[in-house]
Amino acid sequence: MRILSVETSCDETGVAIVEDGRRIVSNVVASQTAHERTGGIVPEVAAREHLRQLDPIASEALRRANTRLDDVDAIAATVGPGLIGALLVGANYARGLAFAARKRFVGVNHLEGHVYANWLYQGAEAPPEPDLPAVVLVVSGAHSDLVLMEDHRRFRLLGRTIDDAAGEAYDKVARLLGLGFPGGPLIERAAREGDPRAFTLPKADLAGRYDVSFSGLKTAVLRLVRDLEKKGAVPAPDLAASFQRTINEMLAERVARAAAEFDVRAVMLGGGVAANLALREEITRRVSLPLRVPPPKLCIDNGAMIGAAAFFSLRYRSEDIPTLVRSGLALAH
Amino acid sequence: MILLAIDTSGAYASVAVFDGAAVLGEVTWHARRRHDDHLFPAIERLLVLVGAELGDVRRVAVATGPGSFTGLRVGIAAAQGIVRASGVALVGVPTCDVVAYPFASSGRRVCVLIDAGRGEHYAAMYRTRRGVWGRTSDIRTVAIDDLVREVVRDTIFAGDVTPAMAQALRERLGRRAIVPSPSALVRRAGHLAEVGWARAEAGESVEPDALEPVYIRPPTIRGPAGEIVAPAGPEPASAVRRTS
Ligand SMILES: [Zn+2]
Repeated sequence: MRILSVETSCDETGVAIVEDGRRIVSNVVASQTAHERTGGIVPEVAAREHLRQLDPIASEALRRANTRLDDVDAIAATVGPGLIGALLVGANYARGLAFAARKRFVGVNHLEGHVYANWLYQGAEAPPEPDLPAVVLVVSGAHSDLVLMEDHRRFRLLGRTIDDAAGEAYDKVARLLGLGFPGGPLIERAAREGDPRAFTLPKADLAGRYDVSFSGLKTAVLRLVRDLEKKGAVPAPDLAASFQRTINEMLAERVARAAAEFDVRAVMLGGGVAANLALREEITRRVSLPLRVPPPKLCIDNGAMIGAAAFFSLRYRSEDIPTLVRSGLALAH
Repeated sequence: MILLAIDTSGAYASVAVFDGAAVLGEVTWHARRRHDDHLFPAIERLLVLVGAELGDVRRVAVATGPGSFTGLRVGIAAAQGIVRASGVALVGVPTCDVVAYPFASSGRRVCVLIDAGRGEHYAAMYRTRRGVWGRTSDIRTVAIDDLVREVVRDTIFAGDVTPAMAQALRERLGRRAIVPSPSALVRRAGHLAEVGWARAEAGESVEPDALEPVYIRPPTIRGPAGEIVAPAGPEPASAVRRTS
């Protein structure tokens, strides 16, 4: 089964063709760079860029897959969560394709997409599917959700951020340190030159729950930067490394605790922040279960992960497929 | 052969089919801010109502704005998808042209007003000059108070004219202000269909990726404290990086 899938929930425009929910036939992604000047995503700018990019990218995804629309079996698009104006572009374009090509339209939860990115592969040889149940950490500029995946499409939300998403914290600290946008990769690069134990930063303790909070950490970095500025130079690499260590320890501690409590068979990551190598190392240090992380280009938002999730939506609990765009759609409750 | 017209650029959403001679059917509803929820069900229902098949649709016309940024993108994206999949002809029609069109035969000047939020309107003037109906001004953003100073002759005010605005226009302009009744101001895709058909006949079809929204206003960019830091000028050129 071939699915053409569209992703436009934030600042990546992606269209892919995925076979049987796993094999990537083509996966074209355009990352908007307009937001680098504003140091954050401007929703209206994002939506305009999606509309400008989407149709050419869809054509290119079909061309690279050497596929005609007639030969795909269903058409999928992210319907939430995300920026409403951005989501509406992708979902309505995809519904237009599905309507005129007489294909089924499959609305996909973006977070399920990040989870199912772990099922994707490229090339001829299919790697084994991840084992279930699993604990999944979806961390990005918009999300920091810790989820128990009991079975296909059966998710239980264990915890989430009560303020900023992890990626947002990265963006804000990167701005404080004058590193630029987006913060994740820039802090990771700066941290390589720094000492992760140079500074001790606070970790919010939410009474043993699985929720996380990054606002106290962000404020602590802000105060530290102001103090250091008064004394002279700000050691950005040391601060970046210490910040990254703190955030990774917070996330990894919760992953390890959940893996033990729910006796799962695997741990999976998803979302842009999952591309952070130090986060993987921190989790591997604490958890002896197999850790699945998609390759970096499948950690960022892309169409292929939506195609994977769409396939498993049709196979499991197909009665529960959304079609309407809802910016606040949740993965699980 | 029929043309499918889609307008989600304003408070009303409307879809219609036109066969070159008559509007065969039209579905129009007040969509508030949720155009997409009913768009495709409405199109499907409309085809059933008029007894047409999907394959009969050989042309698509879409209203390209100005209007609600989000709303107009819903219609454009939907039209692009339909046309990309079916390969039929596509025409984009600026929303102002659609709003003015039913008053073309009135012999009067027409001022189209489209709600732009923040107490402002997009405005454009239309009239027949040397026998040709068309727009005689740029589409621009105005405050109504400023606009009325420019009105020197009898003018029909069409588009997003609320009863309160109609009263204000009459108070300021007396009999020079002609405001149609609310039912005559409903945004109807039947008008779009007729204009779109004529433009398709005139060879004004475009490829889906060449369809340009008419935003007029650049995006508003807010700083960390919510203050407006832009627009400072024209919209920046497209900037993307292909990552795979
Ligand atoms: Zn994402």
